[in-house]
Amino acid sequence: MRIAPRPLILAALPPSAAVGVFGVSYGVLGTAADIPGWQLVVMSMTVFAGSAQFAVVSVLATGGGALAAIVSGGLLNSRYLPIGVDAARVLPGGRLKRALLVQLVVDESYALGIGAGRPGAPDGSAMISSGVLLWLAWVGGSALGVVIGPVLGDPERLGLDAAFPAMFIALLWPMLSSPGTRRCALGGAVAVLAVAPWAPAGTGLALAALVGLALAPTS
Amino acid sequence: MSEASIVVVGLTLVTFVFKGAGAMLARVPESVARRLPGLAPALLAALVTSLALGDDGLPRLDAKFAGVAVAVVLAWRKAPLGVCIVGGALTAAVIRLFS
Repeated sequence: MRIAPRPLILAALPPSAAVGVFGVSYGVLGTAADIPGWQLVVMSMTVFAGSAQFAVVSVLATGGGALAAIVSGGLLNSRYLPIGVDAARVLPGGRLKRALLVQLVVDESYALGIGAGRPGAPDGSAMISSGVLLWLAWVGGSALGVVIGPVLGDPERLGLDAAFPAMFIALLWPMLSSPGTRRCALGGAVAVLAVAPWAPAGTGLALAALVGLALAPTS
Repeated sequence: MSEASIVVVGLTLVTFVFKGAGAMLARVPESVARRLPGLAPALLAALVTSLALGDDGLPRLDAKFAGVAVAVVLAWRKAPLGVCIVGGALTAAVIRLFS
């Protein structure tokens, strides 16, 4: 595998910036929930999944307990099972090396890898190079939020809650060029609308992954 | 061990297994591999939808929704990724400033 060329790095910069700010927000909220700062940062290093970590913080903040926190975070991360299957196919090395490299795959690096890949398979070096940048931004942002959070306040009010759906729309749009992928996207959105009002967070994402596989064009 | 450290270790293990299971598999059955291209569009659309909904999981016409709508127009006009992100966030922030 070659060193990532410049366009791959440049494409990963805007999502990395958004993820960095999101990390600050996570550090602020986690500190406010009385979770030790170093544990918040270690969790960003080893879990590296924003939505699951936010869920964990809110469960602990409301006194839900460790098991409930792990279950809700795990439910949100269950979508990484099928994503991991897809991503691991194009990563280099043996099983262990691929299992380690695939930890760098998150929603953003997966989408960038699909965008840079050939039809039907993501691009491995795009996923890894953007994954490294996103990891640095997420961990750095988390640490910054822990340190300066109490002074700065929560960046959520800057419109961060709209930045993430906006980013995923921009990543999704180029994939909507064929009727088959439009059908999968519609199915994924409907799956979330159907279960989000009553099911725990993450259920809709897991269901959407199954719907996407079921509706995928197979010809 | 404190509650928070149990969660860090537990969620790390769970996430590692979810992400790594595909790499540890001997090989992916052809019937599954053929369908994997349907995964990314479904998941990204699901992420957009769940993030655009209110905390109760129901659609809501608020500043966030307006930001998402602006991002849809920008993506449709083929604006670069950074412009979509900033456009969506800025729309929501400005509406909050004046409401």
